[in-house]
Amino acid sequence: MADPATTGQGRLAAVLARAHVDRHDRGHVLAAAVVLVVSLLVLPSVLSLYWVDSLIQVAVYSVVALGLGLLVGRVGMFSLGQVAILAIGSWTAARLDYATTLPFPVILLIAGVVAGIFGVLVGLPALRLSGLDLALITLMLAGAVTIVLQNTNFPNGGHGFTGYTASPLGNPPIRRPSIASTDPGYLRYAVIVALLMFLLVIWHLRSKPGRAWATIRQSEAAAMASGVNITLYKIWAFALASFITGVIGAVLASSATQLYITPFQTQNSIELMAVVLMGGVFTVWGALIAALLLELLPSIFDIWNLSPFLLIILFGVGVIQVLATAPTGIAGQLPKDLARLGRAIASLASRAGGGRNAAGPTTAGGPGPAIGVPEQDPVGTAP
Amino acid sequence: MPSWQDFEPFIVTGIAAGAVYAVSGVGMVVLYRTTGVLNLAFGAIGALGALICWSLINTAHAPDWLAYLVCVAVGGLVTLLYGMVIGPALAARDALVKATATIGLALILLGAMSWIWSNNANARSLTLTSDSWTFRLGSVLVNWTQIIALIFAVVVAVGTGIFLRSTKLGTVMRALANDREISATLGVPVRRVEAAAWLVSGLISGVAGLILADQVALDATTLTFLVISALAATVIGRLRSLTLTFFGGIVIGLVDALGNPISSVAPYKDMTPFILAVAALLFLSRRGGASARARRVA
Repeated sequence: MADPATTGQGRLAAVLARAHVDRHDRGHVLAAAVVLVVSLLVLPSVLSLYWVDSLIQVAVYSVVALGLGLLVGRVGMFSLGQVAILAIGSWTAARLDYATTLPFPVILLIAGVVAGIFGVLVGLPALRLSGLDLALITLMLAGAVTIVLQNTNFPNGGHGFTGYTASPLGNPPIRRPSIASTDPGYLRYAVIVALLMFLLVIWHLRSKPGRAWATIRQSEAAAMASGVNITLYKIWAFALASFITGVIGAVLASSATQLYITPFQTQNSIELMAVVLMGGVFTVWGALIAALLLELLPSIFDIWNLSPFLLIILFGVGVIQVLATAPTGIAGQLPKDLARLGRAIASLASRAGGGRNAAGPTTAGGPGPAIGVPEQDPVGTAP
Repeated sequence: MPSWQDFEPFIVTGIAAGAVYAVSGVGMVVLYRTTGVLNLAFGAIGALGALICWSLINTAHAPDWLAYLVCVAVGGLVTLLYGMVIGPALAARDALVKATATIGLALILLGAMSWIWSNNANARSLTLTSDSWTFRLGSVLVNWTQIIALIFAVVVAVGTGIFLRSTKLGTVMRALANDREISATLGVPVRRVEAAAWLVSGLISGVAGLILADQVALDATTLTFLVISALAATVIGRLRSLTLTFFGGIVIGLVDALGNPISSVAPYKDMTPFILAVAALLFLSRRGGASARARRVA
């Protein structure tokens, strides 16, 4: 039976395939390493406080986007309540910061676990509901949480678990870990926590849960037929997404001296969904792009004196464009567009015989067009 | 515990507020039943109409009735435009994707409105002519805007119900919502019928925008996200039943308002729509969920 030629060939193919995957991986690892080195070593010491603060927010929201991307892209569950989960994580952490002297990593974990429990509670109805109903119920829960926050002296400050001071000016700031009390130091801390959360998610995606989620997303019937415990893995996805959101919520709590309800309104969940879809839900890079759109772009607009409302319009256009023509989002589309740009330049260059003006006819490279409407194939596949 | 006297005024305001939710909810259900699109930009479109109306009255000094008409027309046109340009591209997709795309429309409109009408947003208010026509009901002063809102919601709910059930266009719309491909094969002019549905829903959003701007606030963000509360009414109506959506809206408004005199409940009364909607969704999920059911029956 075992024809040495075929097995040899088969093995060769397997080795080649693995080598291909490895090369693919190496590109990602390299890119991630560059991002890390730059954001840990270079940026904190070079940039002004304005940009450092902005980047702390990027680190925080990259993890929030990662959690939502996990639910939407990997399992096919649209949750419009992620910002409420973030609020719960932040709240828990802020209260613990005031009331206890627990070491910071422990607070991160507790915030993550509390948020995770809430996530599971939200996830329980998700077992019965799907699609639009799930999106609606999470939106309703987020709306309810927003009102609770408005009426419960949301963290505010003071001593103990329920401390409240009428004037927020007199509040002691929410404490930070002693190794990261300055803003640049805190940026490094936030990036490392975000990195750990990314690794946790990537590890999940590469092992059994990731495969189970992929099966569920393709077809629940097929997943059930092949013995995947759908209940368990759906809950697991909610728990994981909420855990990482809660942990990073704790980082968010200490990023400013006070915690206000402004970032935790229901409408922020909707905006978050928009940028996550734009960033791309099928790779973890999409989460980083989403965070850059959501937190860095406003700072840039501010510097350029552009109206922040223009940003909201761009997000709106982006959502429609992503859903109608490019379900993989920027993370999926940009490499393709860049490759096409490269080919166009190459063909132009060869046609011109090494001509100089090979600036390229497409506009897909710049940040503006990539958000707006880069040219692309009308892909009809559902995300 | 407050006495009956304390509740009395809130019954009237509750029903009036409920009528507002009911109008929006019914408008959204109409579009969902006919095109399968849950229009989350409903509030934003209404807000755009109302803001244009405000500008016409206050800066262009147009007569009130003309401004009101323009508001309704703007609602219809914007909705129709979206339905004609974006609608077909997403027609074959899941209801969830279609609903998410309307979030995009809501954000575009919200951004544009906040940009254009950015200065002294708090000073702006829209007072309909009918606000000054008042009468007494028991101990409560009622104005005609509240009555009109209620009547409008009833007329739309009943009218659409009859229209969908017994006219040719209504039947075709239901067929379309049920299965677009098969309807097209059977010779239904898909684009034209959908255009009619978008236009009608848009006109309703224009009227709702006027009433909401008057009753709630003339503020782009508030009106845009008021959709979330109105959605609760549609969820109670299982995204399908116009009657249940109507009563859902009224109940939400009533419970919300009746929380006012009870001091321990008052701060949390705004949670009413969300709690009722979550309860409705959980209850309905035992029968296969709201949207799943709507898809099967509509």
